[in-house]
Amino acid sequence: MSLTFKHIAPFLTTGKNKASRWLSYFGLGIGVLLLLSSIQMYININGLLKNKNPKKDGYDYIPVTKNISNENMAQSHAFTEAELLELQKQPFIDDAAAFLSNKFVMKANGGATLPFSSDIFVESIDEKFLDTLPPSFTWKEGDQVIPIIIAADYLELYNTVFAPSRDLPQFSEKSLTSLLIGIDCEGFNGTERFRGNVVAMSDRINTVIVPKSFLTWANNHYTHAGNPEMNKILLKTRDANNPALLSFLQEKDYHINKDKTKFGRVKQVLQAIVSGLAGFGVLVILLAMLLFSFYLQLMIARSKENLQLLLTIGYSPQWLSKTVSKKWIPVYVIIILCATLATAILHWSFQHLVMNNRDELSPFIHWIVIAVALLLLILSIVVNYRLVRKLLYKL
Amino acid sequence: MQIELQRVAPTYIEPEKISNSHIWNEVLVFQPGEKIQVVAPSGSGKTSFIHFLYGMRKDYSGTVSYNNQDIKTFNAETFAVYRQQHISIVFQDLRLFAEQTVLQNLEIKRQLNPFHSESKIEAMARQLGIESKLNKPCKTCSYGEQQRIAIIRALQQPFEYLLLDEPLSHLDQVNREKVMDLIAEEVSLRQAAVILADLKPTDYFKADKTINL
Repeated sequence: MSLTFKHIAPFLTTGKNKASRWLSYFGLGIGVLLLLSSIQMYININGLLKNKNPKKDGYDYIPVTKNISNENMAQSHAFTEAELLELQKQPFIDDAAAFLSNKFVMKANGGATLPFSSDIFVESIDEKFLDTLPPSFTWKEGDQVIPIIIAADYLELYNTVFAPSRDLPQFSEKSLTSLLIGIDCEGFNGTERFRGNVVAMSDRINTVIVPKSFLTWANNHYTHAGNPEMNKILLKTRDANNPALLSFLQEKDYHINKDKTKFGRVKQVLQAIVSGLAGFGVLVILLAMLLFSFYLQLMIARSKENLQLLLTIGYSPQWLSKTVSKKWIPVYVIIILCATLATAILHWSFQHLVMNNRDELSPFIHWIVIAVALLLLILSIVVNYRLVRKLLYKL
Repeated sequence: MQIELQRVAPTYIEPEKISNSHIWNEVLVFQPGEKIQVVAPSGSGKTSFIHFLYGMRKDYSGTVSYNNQDIKTFNAETFAVYRQQHISIVFQDLRLFAEQTVLQNLEIKRQLNPFHSESKIEAMARQLGIESKLNKPCKTCSYGEQQRIAIIRALQQPFEYLLLDEPLSHLDQVNREKVMDLIAEEVSLRQAAVILADLKPTDYFKADKTINL
């Protein structure tokens, strides 16, 4: 016949102190519920506030400048090589490169086709940062035609705002690429005329891009000053809403377009709240387990004589430890299972009733929540067993 | 299983008591099947001797061995195995569970490593005249009845050695005879050894050897 707890139950004083026992069960349940719900909510926040901009290659590209305030207006706001290197070294930044801009006067005109002229600015960046790179985007000294990539937003601005205000024709993307515009470059040697040809539109970079080879030559040719300072840097990152990235940029007083990271701050705050709740949940669990350990110690102290006699007449301390601690396994299973179910119900309600079944959220709890619940169960059983064993061996 | 004593002597006893003893500081070997009577006056260490053999106390010099293994090196698990299978004991102070019934006291031992069926408890209780007490708490039984309960408890397991510490002190002649008959029957069933410690040679116990402590 195999012995079970019910055989030794009459010899143990387990009935007393029910209040503290039930209080510890309740505490454990609440603590586990808090912890699991916090973990699920943390995952939900990540899912809901993940950057929504379509990432062609899985990255976000964020232009960064230095903050210009009333106090530092007169100072230089250029990035140094060291600052660029520092950005490149950050774990949440995959790459960074400086924009190159024109340091001489450039004017564009529509020629006979388009009756307009305007001062323009152009920039260059490492080709690996461009989202579109047609084969025609090259320039060497002597070429008269400068290939240009413009931001797709600019064409929209032209078509919807500029063109109607000047009675100018609107252009489609295709028709724009067949247009040649005049570009005048003014330097100390006078004005040189080039032609500009829009070869592509960029969804990623909000400026007028020319080949780096042209700008490097032109800055040197028209000003003898070489390339200008780095006033703007383009960051490549996997998650524009990464709180670490945002904290770093804030710490450095760098300026970014808030639209790219608008959810970042919200995410930071929400995650902090949820983390706090999780921490509180862990505390409640620890307190509940402490209370239960007091109950166990009291039970064993009250049953000390009988337990000692059981050991004397041949009962194995290991068997007693296992059997006594096994009694509470069903309790732990029920408590943690109930807390997990409650978490699942809360999450489903959140996803279904509050978030209206948004795709970013699964109706089921995340596997990590279930894994944590299992881990808590195992921990409870192990801690309980080790405590009982320690107390019994002390006898 | 063989029990050997190699110059065992309590650490707290006076040297003259040790030098006059036939047990302390001697080399003794016990084998299954032997019937040993240990006789000594009160306070001379009979209970200590029994407790040393059972492994309950370690306040002695020398070595007590089970099968050539010093029992001072045993851990609680090892002792549990020996106490379940090889050695049984009747304590002088009985050590019953006072709040539990007689039947519960006997069952808690029997079910650990059953040698007899549950019905045998009733038969033994009837044999020793305590069957009416089976469902009563132990604390309500007289000392003599509790002694008989302790003896029946010791006979519920397999053993090669039965240690008895003044087991009949509160029994009348009739019950002494009944108890010794039952013990003899059970010991014979197991081909076991008996080591009985008492103030004087015990009636109805046919010892192979009597040793003065």
